[in-house]
Amino acid sequence: MSETSHPLPPVVSRRRYERALIAREEAERLLEAKSRELYEANQGLLKSKSWLEKAVQERTVELEAARIAAESANAAKSVFLASMSHEIRTPLNGILGMALALSENGLTDEQNAIVDVIRDSGSLLLSVINDILDLSKIEAGKLECEHIPCGLGQLLGSVEKQYQLGAQEKGLEFRVSILEGAGIWVKTDATRLRQVIGNLLSNAIKFTDKGSVAMLADIIPLDAGWSKLTITVTDTGPGIPKDQHSRLFKPFSQANSGITRNFGGTGLGLVISRRICQEMGGALTLKSDAGQGAEFVASVLVEPCDNEEMIGEDLEHSEAVLTGTRWRILAAEDNRTNRLVLHHMLKRFGMQLEMSENGEQLISRWRAEPWDLILMDVNMPVMDGLRATQIIRDHEHEECLEPIPIIAVSANAMSHQVNGYLAHGITDHVAKPLRRAELVRAMATALTSKSVD
Amino acid sequence: MKGVVFVELLRMAETVLGEEAVDQVLDQTELQSNGAFSAVGNYPCRELLSLVDAFGERLGAPPEALQVKFGHWMFSRFVEGYPEFFEGKKDAFEMLEAIEGEVHVEVRKLYPEVELPSFATNRPLPSQLRMVYESDRPLMHFCLGLIEACIAHFEDQADIQMVEQSDPRKFRAEFLIEKAA
Repeated sequence: MSETSHPLPPVVSRRRYERALIAREEAERLLEAKSRELYEANQGLLKSKSWLEKAVQERTVELEAARIAAESANAAKSVFLASMSHEIRTPLNGILGMALALSENGLTDEQNAIVDVIRDSGSLLLSVINDILDLSKIEAGKLECEHIPCGLGQLLGSVEKQYQLGAQEKGLEFRVSILEGAGIWVKTDATRLRQVIGNLLSNAIKFTDKGSVAMLADIIPLDAGWSKLTITVTDTGPGIPKDQHSRLFKPFSQANSGITRNFGGTGLGLVISRRICQEMGGALTLKSDAGQGAEFVASVLVEPCDNEEMIGEDLEHSEAVLTGTRWRILAAEDNRTNRLVLHHMLKRFGMQLEMSENGEQLISRWRAEPWDLILMDVNMPVMDGLRATQIIRDHEHEECLEPIPIIAVSANAMSHQVNGYLAHGITDHVAKPLRRAELVRAMATALTSKSVD
Repeated sequence: MKGVVFVELLRMAETVLGEEAVDQVLDQTELQSNGAFSAVGNYPCRELLSLVDAFGERLGAPPEALQVKFGHWMFSRFVEGYPEFFEGKKDAFEMLEAIEGEVHVEVRKLYPEVELPSFATNRPLPSQLRMVYESDRPLMHFCLGLIEACIAHFEDQADIQMVEQSDPRKFRAEFLIEKAA
C-alpha cells in the first residue's frame, strides 16, 4: 500500500459536511460536560484547600503553644533543680561541717559513733543530690568532662583503699589488678572517672554476699596520642537476667522493683556512669546472666602525659602550705552556721581568719588592711559576692594592685554557674557542703600561685 | 473505543485513498455513528474493525496488514503528541516495558472509564523482550505495527515473532522480540 497524496476535491459532499457537523456537535457536548465536571472538581478542591489551610493554621497555633509550654516547663525545671541544689546543699553544709567539728572535740567512743552515723547519712544524702544534679545535666546536654593530668596509679590506689573496707566487712575477697602501663599519668577527668569506678565497685560489693569482687585496669595505646583505659569489675553476685539488662541503663529503673526495696539507691548510678563513659569517648557494657555473677566493663579515652604532679595536689603538701605562714584570710558568709563550719575547718592552721556577713562589710575590711586571700559566699544580702568581687577587681585595676585570690564558696554547683563566677573575676570555686580537703587544696593552690607570681 | 483512533484511521485512509473514496466507504459501511467521529467521543470497537475490513477490501489488502500499517501510523502520532513519554528511554525495550506502568497509568488519569489492553513484559535474556498482549479486542496486528514502529523509532534492529494465543474469552498474542546482535 503506497501513501500517495490525493488532491483535495474543490467542494466537500453534503454527507462529509454533515458528518463533520455531527462530530463537532458531539465533541462540543462532551467537552461541555467535561468542563462542567472539571469546574465542579475544582470547586471541591478549593473548598478542601481552604479547609486544610485553616486546619494547618490551627494545628500550627496549637503546636506553637505546646512548644512554648514545654520549653517554659523545662526552663522552670532547670531553675527548680538549680535552686533545690542550693537549698539542700546549704543546710547539708551545716550538718556535715558541724558533725566534723564535733568529732574533733574529744568525744567519747559512743558519741563518735553517733556523729559517724550523722556524717555517713549526710554524705549519702549528698551523693543522692549529686546524682540527681548529674542526671539533670545529662538531660540538659550539659555534662562536661575535664581533661587535666592525673596519676592513674594514685587514683586507682585510692579507689581501692576506699572500697577495700566495705568488701572486707562483708567477708568478700577484694582483688585489684593494675596491668603494666595502666598506672601512668594521663589527661582525663579524674573526678568523673572515680565516680564511674566507684559506682561499679559499690554496686558489686552491695549485691555480692559471698565470693569475690575484682577490678582489673588495662590500657591500650591507640592512634594520635590517645589510649583506651578499660576498667573491668567482676563479681560473684546473683547476676542479672539478660532480659533486665536494658532496664539497668534507664533512669530511675533498677533491674526490678525488689532491688529498690532491698538495697535502696536512686537507680541513677549506671545511667550516669554510662553517659560519663560515652562523654569520655568510651562505653559501659555488661556481661551477666542470672546466677552467673556480673562483669561490667567501663572504657574511656585518655591522653597519656608527663607526670605533672601539681602543687596543691597532695593534701599533706597543701596543709603544710596553710600551716607554714600565718595567712590573712578574709571571708564573707551571711549564714551563721556556715561561718561556724568555716571557722572549725580552718582553725587548726593558725591563720588570721576574719568573717564578714555580706559583701559590703567585706569590702570595708578589705580596704582597711592587707589580706592574702578572700573566701566569698555568692548569695548574700546587702551586697552579693559577685558584686563585691567586681568592686575589688575594679579598684585593683585602677590602683595597679596585684589581684587578691578570691575563692567562691557556694552551693550553686551547676557548671554553667561556676563558669559564670570565673568570668566575674573569681579565682576558683569550692562547692558547699564544704569538704575540708577541697577547701584546703583550693586555698593552698591559690596562695602558692599568688606567691609565685 | 476512543474517538481519536477512528479519526486517525480515517486520516490515514484519506492519505492513501483520498477523501471521496473514504466518504464512499463510510456511506457503504453499516455504522451506528454514521461515520461521524469526534476525537473526544467514544465509539464501538466493532465499527473500527468494520472500517478496517472495508478499507482492506477497497485496497485489496488483508485487514491484518492494514492493522499493522495503522499501528505504524498511530505510533508516529504518539511520538508527535506525547514526547514526554519518550524522555529518558534509551531503547525500544525500555519504552515497551513502560507502557503498562507509565503510559497507561497516565491515560487512566485522563479517562478513568477507559478499557485498556494489558501488556505484560519480561526479559528471558538481556537481548530478548517477551510481551503478552491481552484484550477484549482483536487488535493483535495493530499491536505488532506499534512494536515495529517503536523499534524503528529507537533505530534498533530486532526480530519479532508473534504467536496468537487467543481463547474464547480473551484475545491474546505473545510477541518475542530479539535484538539483532
